[in-house]
Amino acid sequence: MSTPVFEPIVGRYLMLPILGDQCRIYVEEAGSGIPLVCLHTAGADSRQFRHLLCDHAVTSRYRVIAFDMPWHGKSYPPAGWQKSEYKLTTELYVETIRAFCSAMELERPVVMGCSIGGRIVLQLAHAHGGEFRALIGLESADYQQPWYDTSWLHRSDVHGGEVCAALVSGLIAPQSPMEYRHETLWQYMQGGPGIFKGDLYFYRVDSDLRGKLTGIDTRRCPLYLLTGEYDFSCMPEDTLRTAEAIAGAKVTVMEEVGHFPMSENPAQFRRYLLPVLEEIFKVTA
Amino acid sequence: MSDSGTGGQVMQARILADRYRQAIQSTFATDTDLLRRGSLVDTCCLIEIGTEQLVLTIRNGRPTVAERIPLLGSWEFAIRAGAEAWIALWQPVPKAGWHDLFALCKRGAMRIEGSLQPFMANLQYFKDLVTLPREGGPR
Repeated sequence: MSTPVFEPIVGRYLMLPILGDQCRIYVEEAGSGIPLVCLHTAGADSRQFRHLLCDHAVTSRYRVIAFDMPWHGKSYPPAGWQKSEYKLTTELYVETIRAFCSAMELERPVVMGCSIGGRIVLQLAHAHGGEFRALIGLESADYQQPWYDTSWLHRSDVHGGEVCAALVSGLIAPQSPMEYRHETLWQYMQGGPGIFKGDLYFYRVDSDLRGKLTGIDTRRCPLYLLTGEYDFSCMPEDTLRTAEAIAGAKVTVMEEVGHFPMSENPAQFRRYLLPVLEEIFKVTA
Repeated sequence: MSDSGTGGQVMQARILADRYRQAIQSTFATDTDLLRRGSLVDTCCLIEIGTEQLVLTIRNGRPTVAERIPLLGSWEFAIRAGAEAWIALWQPVPKAGWHDLFALCKRGAMRIEGSLQPFMANLQYFKDLVTLPREGGPR
């Protein structure tokens, strides 16, 4: 008998109310130290952070925590979901994150989100900056011009999982390893019907933050924005424009990376992330 | 369209169109992956490469390229781009913003028009089909 080989990730279910709905949330974590809460992209789940959760250079100083949003991954929708259409709003997204951090009893965590997660950290910095040690937006901007008709994502004559994956496949950099490219796409193939589209309601309709990001104090809560050069959804110029309006925001354009840095090319991503985490550790620990 | 380009543009488009024909021929002679993934694809589409137009008739995932477009020929959807866009897309490692059909559409270098249900229902198949000439194949 050989010894079982486990990764250091531990997964559990957390029960918590979000805006009056009782939710069962799937959470994975690894490491100890400063809490680092990771927010997945639209239509995906916390598996996107599996490499980060196994990176000892990170987990030796950070307690890395990733959860599946309600309706995503292994988190069920709230009871009664079958009679409603899923639409993520700014209010629901903010309250989900705050309720999660509170239920986990996290003291001023760092929050890092990608894509829709990158958008919401801007809102967190604006409205709740004092609750967080630092915020990291990946593929983050105050607004992006919608570039396609999202009705294709949920209709009876097109396979939802396959079209979602094929749509985002071009957002992955051509340099990303084939294994991780297709792992990233597999997550999109497994999303629930209409969930990617429902997340994009937040992204495209309910969270135009242009001109609304006043009062962000990056001395109290440092803000880092990292965007991949191959991301044509949230383009580097979108992030640079966003950062120009926020005094003290630090921007990095990541080479040879697309819209999913943590899952499509973890080795390239950590080259950019580790210095950020090092700085946060030194400044705030 | 075909009489609007300069001699150099017409020649360049013909070379690219020939390259695309050959890529289809050689891929489907040996590779069964696209056939497996496209086994339910039955449609007809136009690929416009600069001044050249190719009509692909696809049955059970296998495309055949018409020698010439017949008078009153029709197709369900069209993918249209200039030579610059196809050359960029087919690079072994394309530049950012030139690496995907939708990236090209977003920058105004490509148009996808017509009845798009067959295209969207088989999106990765078509993305891979039009990227066949890329050295190293589709990603």
